[in-house]
Amino acid sequence: MNRAPLIFLGIFFALAFSWTGIILTNHLSYAKLQPVFDETEGKAFPQKLPGNAERGKEVYRDLGCVYCHSQQVRQPGYGTDIDRGWGERGSVARDYIHEKRVYLGTMRTGPDLRNVGARFVGDAGRDWHLQHLYDPQITSKGSIMPPFRFLFEPRVIVGEPSPRAVQTKLPAQYQPPAGHEIVLTQRGEDLISYLLALKDPALYPEEAARVYVPKADPAEKKTEPAQAEAAK
Amino acid sequence: MSSDKSKLPPHVPAEQHQRAEQAGANDESIQKVHAILLREKSEPSEGFTPMPLFLLGFISAMIFVCSVYVVHYRGDFDPLVYDERFDAAAAKAAASGPKVLTPEQILASGKRLYQTCAACHQATGLGVAGVYPPLAASEWVTGSEERLIRVLLHGLNGPIQVKGNTYNGAMPAFGKIPGGGYNWSDEKIAHVLSYIRHDWGNNAEFITKDKVTEVLKAEAARAKPWTQDELAPFAQ
Amino acid sequence: MASSLTASLNPASSPDLAKRAELSAIDASTRAPALYFFGSSVLWLLVGTLFALIASYKLHTPEFLGDVEWLTFGRARTLHLNAVIYGWASNASFAVALWLMARLARAELRHVGLLFIAAAFWNLGVTVGMVGIAIGDSTSIEWLEFPTYATPILFVAYALVGAWAMITFRFGRAKHIYVSQWYLLAALFWFPWLYSVAQIMLLFEPTRGTVQGLVNWWFAHNVLGLWFTPIGLAAIYYFLPKVLGKPIHSYYLSVLGFWSLAIFYNWAGVHHLIGGPVPVWVQTAGIAASFMMVVPVIVTGLNQHLTLVGAAAALKYSPTLRFIVFGGVNYTLTSIAGSLMAMRSWAEITHFTHYTVAHAHHGMYAFFTMVMFGSVYYILPRILLKEWPSAKLISLHFWATAGGITLYVVGLSIGGIAQGLAMNTLPAGADGQPGAPVAFMEVVADMIKYLEIRTIAGVIISIGHIAFAVNFTWMLVQPRKTGATEPTLFRNAPDLEAAR
Repeated sequence: MNRAPLIFLGIFFALAFSWTGIILTNHLSYAKLQPVFDETEGKAFPQKLPGNAERGKEVYRDLGCVYCHSQQVRQPGYGTDIDRGWGERGSVARDYIHEKRVYLGTMRTGPDLRNVGARFVGDAGRDWHLQHLYDPQITSKGSIMPPFRFLFEPRVIVGEPSPRAVQTKLPAQYQPPAGHEIVLTQRGEDLISYLLALKDPALYPEEAARVYVPKADPAEKKTEPAQAEAAK
Repeated sequence: MSSDKSKLPPHVPAEQHQRAEQAGANDESIQKVHAILLREKSEPSEGFTPMPLFLLGFISAMIFVCSVYVVHYRGDFDPLVYDERFDAAAAKAAASGPKVLTPEQILASGKRLYQTCAACHQATGLGVAGVYPPLAASEWVTGSEERLIRVLLHGLNGPIQVKGNTYNGAMPAFGKIPGGGYNWSDEKIAHVLSYIRHDWGNNAEFITKDKVTEVLKAEAARAKPWTQDELAPFAQ
Repeated sequence: MASSLTASLNPASSPDLAKRAELSAIDASTRAPALYFFGSSVLWLLVGTLFALIASYKLHTPEFLGDVEWLTFGRARTLHLNAVIYGWASNASFAVALWLMARLARAELRHVGLLFIAAAFWNLGVTVGMVGIAIGDSTSIEWLEFPTYATPILFVAYALVGAWAMITFRFGRAKHIYVSQWYLLAALFWFPWLYSVAQIMLLFEPTRGTVQGLVNWWFAHNVLGLWFTPIGLAAIYYFLPKVLGKPIHSYYLSVLGFWSLAIFYNWAGVHHLIGGPVPVWVQTAGIAASFMMVVPVIVTGLNQHLTLVGAAAALKYSPTLRFIVFGGVNYTLTSIAGSLMAMRSWAEITHFTHYTVAHAHHGMYAFFTMVMFGSVYYILPRILLKEWPSAKLISLHFWATAGGITLYVVGLSIGGIAQGLAMNTLPAGADGQPGAPVAFMEVVADMIKYLEIRTIAGVIISIGHIAFAVNFTWMLVQPRKTGATEPTLFRNAPDLEAAR
């Protein structure tokens, strides 16, 4: 019995040690991570999500998208994230400072989505997401992503067709019977807004100063001064 | 249950009569309970074999190796460092020189950027018949810089002729133009155009960032995509 | 206060007999709560298995139940995970912890009615949480998905269970604190801290940016390492020497194993974020801690192996021993695999792939769940005072689950490595330079066969679970036999009193 207090103290300090070291230290140092003002763009980055994209993030949460899709681009040379066009640089902590929930994800059953808003842009991007969510087989044959048809509402056209009707974007075999339309629900609209808003800005100066630079190998340099100048 | 009392031996004290009664025990159930319990081995205990010596050596080696690992890959304990190979001294030395990209680096950058274009123009550069023109052996790609840069900056609409075939897709605007969706920097435009001019058998001159900036400035007022006819003056 | 049963013995009987009677009384005091926790755990096991099959099937056949919103993969998978972690595994943990603590402290559980309420609250909390996930209120934070209206219910339940374990320990008659008790005390202390910190720093007062990732993975990895692993080890440390009738090989190895686990395990969780947007120094710390985990794992494995050596023939007869040893061996294997996976070069390949899923099931199922099965096979006869009705069902249970999980882990690991290599390395290009990465859809297509193998493995495991549930229910409803009984073994043992 007299060993019990000792065991208890040891158990307590073991957990306290890791909590302090892993979480508290970073919780404190992250307070210094503030948005950075970019002169050329005239805005501070990272930016907050616009309103309906923020609502769309709730849809992302409730449907569990994070269990197949990650949202973190790994550093160049580690994995192939950047070679795949999933981002131009590795993600850094500052990218996430505005996020109330951070869905880094741990599975890539589907591609990383951190910069999906840079790959599918504007109206063409919206149409792609519409088709992909209605039935992933439309845009990505052989995909194992489930269909999200419940984000769409098939209904009878009453009076004027809805401005949010989307069946024109869907291939022939998905067309509803005559007099019917397929309308994107607000949830679907919000989710697509969220996906279109996901993109990270260029690397912030403080982080850029800490990028790993391999030592230059003199034998590797192929000097073409004219081309090097022209390439600037 | 008073009949049970009579079963207890006379020398058992009175209070134990009580407890035996409360247990509701009769000989049979005690026997049964004991059977499952009786066949159990005794409660576990620990032997006191001393620790094998090799284990101490192994643990010391592990501690040593892991300490070296932590020191080597600590990234200076800097919360803004994300690469374990980062070395503050080397980074300072490299930052002092001018940043000039080699042609290989430009083509590699362009190739990565091309992933976005491949959605329509395909990884093979062959496009989709009738919709997206090919880039391989295309006169639009290897020909005039002025026209090519404009296409990527502002986009392209309406039917066009490439290698004698007609294509009618909608190319979005990629440059930093008013209302633009992609807002690619001039450098990115230069890189990806340089890349498509060097793949699939194409071989034309690199396009420079300065040229892109010059074109963008010249067309500063333009916000809508080009048509083939509008680009005709730039085609040579 | 001597138990009435002990007191009812002939005063001339041996001290050994008195001890047995004392244990019998202690077992009797644990009967109601242990039965309720075990019964709940078996029900949740069946629920979790059903969702597992649905989720697994959907991954290679996405149209399956594709229009049922509450079963969309993101929710079905989450329902599976929470049913097995908080329904099956935690309920079983409570039962085993209480029974072991009572026996080892040699103290009867008192006022067990309150433990009954605790069990009811726990199950209520899990049910509310599961319904919450199904209707779309999941937090989408891994291992912490229950909505915040469910978790306070769990907290009340836990407080009662934790307090009861402490009281039992405090008022026990045992002088020496046996190794299993260290692990149990530690687990019961650590779990509420982990859960509360995670709830506060992720849901109630979310911390900034990717510190959330650090909290999430400190929490989730430690639920495995500081809640389930110690309970599993406590069970192995009790049942292995108990069934064999041999002492644990070395007290010194037990001490070293326990403290090295306590120090290193809880730093290892950061290995879920290797290459991620967190400072590299904390990633390095997590990797180093993951490497150091080979120390407690090898020490504990050595301790258990050297205890078993020479007496392994009992594996032919004893269901308890077979499940426990299967679990113990896989504890060693999965932990060594985990240490290797933390290497940056390995993590680069297998991170984000199905390999991670295989590894998670290796730990939670091949180690922890199998140890829990072994524990149930030992404990239930002692609290019900009945024997297991069918040795055949036990055998089916063992072979189906052992075979199924082996197929699962091996099959999905191979698939995950193939996926990782294709996804995370660049093939050699024509000119000797690295070529373009393998197209994503090609990787997906290659994985289908491994996902199908996983479903097949899942079906085999489910058969084992059904056999277990049938045997369990049968045992509950069968009448208690009068007279001496024999243990239910795989085959007849040469000397019966040495069995079980």
